[in-house]
Amino acid sequence: MDPKGEKGFWKNAWHWFKAFSFGIFIDKRMAVVRKEAFDEYDNLLLLLYSDFLGIPNPISYYMLELLPYLAEEIEPWERRIQNRKFIVAEKAAQYDFD
Amino acid sequence: MSENQQKQFVFFGGKGGTGKTTCAGAFALKKAKEGYKTLVVSTDPAHSLADAYGIRIGSEIVSLTYNLWGLEVDAELEARKYMKGIQDQMLNIVSAAIVEEIKKQLEIAYMSPGAEEAAIFDKFIEIMEMVGKAYDLIVFDTAPTGHTLRLLTLPEILGAWIDHLIDRHEKARKLMKMSARYDEILKKKLEDDPIIRILHKRKEKFSFGRDIMTNGDLTEFFFVLNAEKMPIMETERAIAMLKKFSIPVGGVVVNKIIPEEAGPFFEKRRSAQEDYLEDIKHRFGEYRIAEIPMLESDIQGMVQMEQVAHILRNL
Repeated sequence: MDPKGEKGFWKNAWHWFKAFSFGIFIDKRMAVVRKEAFDEYDNLLLLLYSDFLGIPNPISYYMLELLPYLAEEIEPWERRIQNRKFIVAEKAAQYDFD
Repeated sequence: MSENQQKQFVFFGGKGGTGKTTCAGAFALKKAKEGYKTLVVSTDPAHSLADAYGIRIGSEIVSLTYNLWGLEVDAELEARKYMKGIQDQMLNIVSAAIVEEIKKQLEIAYMSPGAEEAAIFDKFIEIMEMVGKAYDLIVFDTAPTGHTLRLLTLPEILGAWIDHLIDRHEKARKLMKMSARYDEILKKKLEDDPIIRILHKRKEKFSFGRDIMTNGDLTEFFFVLNAEKMPIMETERAIAMLKKFSIPVGGVVVNKIIPEEAGPFFEKRRSAQEDYLEDIKHRFGEYRIAEIPMLESDIQGMVQMEQVAHILRNL
C-alpha cells in the first residue's frame, strides 16, 4: 500500500474500514459458527474414540484406521473432553451477553 | 448339492464339541472330490482342523489334497498386522512424536473386547473376495454358536453405526466450511477429506459381507448337533437368530448317533435318542438333515474323513 498521496490515503482508509467492519460484524459471528463446528468435531471424535475414555465402542477396532489422519487432534481433544464440567455454561459462553 | 445351484460359501456352526470341524472338513473333502476347488477355513480360536486332517495347517493357505486347501485364521496375528499397517501409515502423515503418543491408544484398542472378532471378520471378507478366482467354494468351520452369531451379525450393526458416523462427519464438515469462509488456512485444510473416504470404504466392505451372507444363492449355513436336549435347543435358537438377520440355513447334521450294535450299556441312551431324533425331524423338517453314526473310534485323518464325507453325500 502506498502511504503517500490522496490515492494512498483512500486506499488506506478503505483497508481499515474493511478490517473494522470485519471485526465488528463478521468475525464475532463467525466465531460462533467456528465454535459450533469444533464442538461438532469433538462429538464426532467422541463417537469414533469413546473407548479411549473408557466407554465401550462397538466399532473402535475399525476406526483405528482413521487415527493417522486424526492423530494430531486426539491429544487436545482428550484434554478438552475430560475437562468438561458444565455443559450449560459452555454453551452459554458462545453467546455474547455483555 | 442335492438342490439347485452350487453354493459358494458354506458355514458350519453349532454347540462346542458336537463335531463341527469334522463335518466341515468332511464336507470340504466331498466337494473337492466332486471337482470343486475348495478352501476350508477354520475361524475357531481353538483350531482343530489340522488335527482332523492330520496335516499341519497354519495362518497361510496350504494344499491338503487334490482340489482342497486349508487355512486356520489366527485372529491375534491378523489384529497385529492391522495395527502394524496403521502405524506405518501414520509415520507417513504425522511426526514420530505423535506416533509414540498414539501407540498407547493402539495398544488399548488391541486389547479391547471385540478386536479379535473384528480381525476375523476382516479376514472373512478378504477370503470371500478370493472366491471365483482361486476357489469355487469356501467352507467355514466356525467357532461355537454364540461367538459365530456375533461375528455374522457384525456387518448389520456396524453398517448402521457407520451411516451415523458419516452423517455426523458431514454435518461437522459443513459447519467447518461455513466457518472457514474468511479463513484461507482452514479452507485449504478442508479440501482433502480422507476420513469420509475411509468411512465409505469400510461401509462398502460391510455391505459386501452382508450381501454375500444374506444371499441364499451363494451362502448356506449348516448346524451340527447331537441327538441330545441341549444342542437341539441351542440350534433352534441359533436358527431363529440367523433368520432374524436373514442368513440362509441349509440343513442340520446330527452327529454321533449311537448305532444299534452298541450293546446293552447304551440301550437306555439309544431309546432316548430315538425321541430326540424324532424331535429333530419335527423341529428342523424344513431343512436337509444328515445323520452320522458314532464310529468305532474318533474321526481323524484323511481315511476316516473320507468315510464321513461319504455319509454327507446328500447334504
